[in-house]
Amino acid sequence: MIWKIAKKEFLLNLMTFKFTVATIVSIVLTVIFVPILAKDYQQRLKTYHDNITGNEAKIQKVKVYKNITPTMYRPPSVLSVFSGGLEKQLADSATVELDKVPEISAAAAQGNPYQVVFPVFDASLIFKIVIGVLALLVAYDAISGERERGTLKLMLAGATRRYEVLLAKLIAGLMVLVVPVTIVFAIGLIILLSFPLVDLTGSDWLRIGLMYLASLIFVSVMYNMGLLFSCLTRRSAISLVLGLFLWIIFAVVIPNGSVYLAAEARPLESQEKIAGQIAALKQEYENEFYSSRPNQPSISQSDGGGEGGFGHGYNRLVNKAGMDYFRQCNRLEYPLKIKYADKYWEVERRYLNSLREQKNLANSLSRISPISLYEGVFSALAGTDMAAFQRFMDGVRMYRIEILQYVRSKTADFSSSSFFSTCTEQQMAEYEKFLGQIVAQVKQAQNQAEIVRLQQATMEWFKTLADPPNLDLRDCPRFASAPGTLGCLRRAIPDLALLIFGNALFFTVAFAAFVRYDVR
Amino acid sequence: MVRQILRKEILENLLSLRFILSLLLAISLFAASGFVFVKRYEKQSQDYWKKINENLTSLSEQSKQLYQLAFYKQGIYKAPRPLTFCVEGFEKSLPDCIRFDAFTSDLPEVRGQGNFVLPHFSDIDWVFIISLILSFVALVFTYDSICGEKEAGTLSLMLAGTVPRYAVLLGKYSAAMLTLGIPLCLGLFVSLIIVISSKEIVISPGEWLKIFTVVLLSFLCLSSFVLLGMFVSSRTAHSANSMVILLLVWVGLVILMPSLGRIASDLSSRNTTQVELHRKLDEASKQISDDADKFGENASSMATDLKSPMNNPPAHARYVTAQMNAKNQVLDEHHREMLAQVSTGRNLACLSPVVIYQRASEAIAGTGINHCVDLRRQIERYQDDLKQYMRGEDAKDPDSLHLIFPEEQCARSWKTISHKPVDFATVPKFQERDLALGQSLKLAIWDIGLLVLFNLVLFAAAFVSFLRYDVR
Repeated sequence: MIWKIAKKEFLLNLMTFKFTVATIVSIVLTVIFVPILAKDYQQRLKTYHDNITGNEAKIQKVKVYKNITPTMYRPPSVLSVFSGGLEKQLADSATVELDKVPEISAAAAQGNPYQVVFPVFDASLIFKIVIGVLALLVAYDAISGERERGTLKLMLAGATRRYEVLLAKLIAGLMVLVVPVTIVFAIGLIILLSFPLVDLTGSDWLRIGLMYLASLIFVSVMYNMGLLFSCLTRRSAISLVLGLFLWIIFAVVIPNGSVYLAAEARPLESQEKIAGQIAALKQEYENEFYSSRPNQPSISQSDGGGEGGFGHGYNRLVNKAGMDYFRQCNRLEYPLKIKYADKYWEVERRYLNSLREQKNLANSLSRISPISLYEGVFSALAGTDMAAFQRFMDGVRMYRIEILQYVRSKTADFSSSSFFSTCTEQQMAEYEKFLGQIVAQVKQAQNQAEIVRLQQATMEWFKTLADPPNLDLRDCPRFASAPGTLGCLRRAIPDLALLIFGNALFFTVAFAAFVRYDVR
Repeated sequence: MVRQILRKEILENLLSLRFILSLLLAISLFAASGFVFVKRYEKQSQDYWKKINENLTSLSEQSKQLYQLAFYKQGIYKAPRPLTFCVEGFEKSLPDCIRFDAFTSDLPEVRGQGNFVLPHFSDIDWVFIISLILSFVALVFTYDSICGEKEAGTLSLMLAGTVPRYAVLLGKYSAAMLTLGIPLCLGLFVSLIIVISSKEIVISPGEWLKIFTVVLLSFLCLSSFVLLGMFVSSRTAHSANSMVILLLVWVGLVILMPSLGRIASDLSSRNTTQVELHRKLDEASKQISDDADKFGENASSMATDLKSPMNNPPAHARYVTAQMNAKNQVLDEHHREMLAQVSTGRNLACLSPVVIYQRASEAIAGTGINHCVDLRRQIERYQDDLKQYMRGEDAKDPDSLHLIFPEEQCARSWKTISHKPVDFATVPKFQERDLALGQSLKLAIWDIGLLVLFNLVLFAAAFVSFLRYDVR
């Protein structure tokens, strides 16, 4: 009997105006937006590859070890087409520096800060809004509508049990809703795959499969919600109004309100306090460094005048006293800088943790709304949520430690000359000799023009020197970001479970209401 | 007759469930928005005045030597606007600070930023409640205004008499607007009461006028949704179909269209990255330094000793000023590009009355992007005032070279600008001013016109559809 009712309902719904319109709208939206989003992804992927190649080219040009400060880029997630998450909001790169621990930062510094006036668009909006509304529209008159038309009492006059009717309605509703969801996914994927740079791995397919499943569970929650109102009211118009009001609360009020409440309930650490602590630490560092720094001798030096790797300069020539002094200083300064970098980070992390806690609270509060739950599942599966960025930063921090170890091992704990200078012993001797001659001539100079001529002669001499060789960094560790599929799945499971629970809850209450429903 | 229909409609509406639900929702949201605004505004003003005073204290220390005033980088924050309770306009996430000295100002930056890992939601302000909740309520009130009566069989009865169709339409329109006006006005009233009962917030007469304008805009925006509902209702035979169409149109106008703006702005032009900006700046500076001789002999030289024959202060001043102008030009252009990129997106999104309403209200209330742009403009004017003042003070010092140009080292070692102390009370101080209503209206006039146009077109469409409506 269940199947008979389900089949009748399914066919009836398929022929309705609302189904046709909502499906067509979903398809049109998919056809318009997925290419735009895919193109945007492709562009970001291209930029990412360019950056990676640029990094490799830059690392070839490094002349001294101190300059190894590559910037790491986070590969854009192909599934961001389905869920944009925080991808446009957080910075997708981090620079590995000896004296700074990388952390998550806002993306505004990179792009156009005025663009925050636009909300982020992604394909999940089609499910969240259009198909979610369709689910409500299919369900709102499932029971109350039949009562109004007088068919409900006819149906229940026979041997048909009430639970059979309700179950059949649920099955029929789901069968109807599977159609647009499947069509949108299929069309979206076909369009996505038609882009040459888009390449879906096994892990991506698994996550897309789960997204599909999550979408079905989500529309089923919305359907059950509509069914519940239909069982609670006697007139379908009222069940529609109630359903739509609850929908707008779920779609608009809760996601905004939870952010709001979280911001009020858990205030952030004061930025001034953090800045004050960092300033105090910086002072402490300076005191510690300057108190142990050796006395500065008379130094003559010249920089390379050009690129020494990653946009930094380098020391080209230096006299013996200078070389000894710098080596001593570096041996003191860099371990100290690294120690203090960790201290700064400890302080900064407290601020970031307060941001994170606020975000987590907002997420927890918004979990009352199935729409927010669904959003959470999607961004976790797409790898565009906060945790995914956190993972990337953890990776960059690990990589920084590797680089530190590498530089330490190559430069005898920052004390060798190759750490900051390309000047060899022989060049040092030549430089001192040359300087000696020039200084003697300057002393004998009669007028200003003579001095200018000597200055020019010095410049000329520098020009005769051959360019110093680049460092051989083939054994330098390279950064690799792992996809982290398992983590994505783990993060998606709680929200998914809550969505399933929502289904069970709405259906049980609907069932309880229907059992007591006056069918006349 | 219109009045009779109006009365019947209003009574019917007032007794309906949808009215009670929308009233409850609207009042609770407006009240919540009022409370949150008051709390936030008090904190924001405290922070703002603290920062402004810190800036003034540091500036007063610079007045010991005139030249230092020119090179001191002031950090000016956006003043919190009291009208953010009407429309917040993403003030929280937009750039809020500009750092500048007398010669150049940096691009606006986001400094006192809140939580950047949270999604960028607009605050629950009036515009938010009206454009997302009440616009929806407007459709819920009107989706069955024509086709519902037809289904109930009362439409043919009503038109069987001498009632002209336009009277029915006008009656229904006015009734829907009046019914909607109740939750709206009550909500606004509650929100205003909460806001003015706070001691911190003082609303000036000019601001009351602005608030009144925003309320008028709100009615215009809601009216377009009411007309849209009536139009669709008089195009369909069944109220269920009308609801479906309206819901999808609403989703398109209110939710999808603003998001579309982002895509359009992304597609319209590519973001200039920081690296590219620096490259442009370097190129501009190189171009000037390549032509350094154009500014006079030894224009680029700046030996510490003023008497050195290598130095040519006037030429150097011209050279450095040219460099600074080139840099400022690149920065201005970059800023303009960013604004143009956003405005392209917003222009496209203006197919939705909600976006027009948001933009017009932002312009009236002086919040949002306009606020940043206006602050930058005011700072430019202030820089001119500061330079003017410095010229005046500098002229009094016979030891100075009277060359006011952006090179701190020269100012210090060559004394191109006076080193004498000045009376801090006479130094011009930056004070942000809100735009007058006339100027704000000028910014919003096109949007207001568009909203009116939307209303007229939708009214005409609803009228024509209803004239041809088959009432059987």
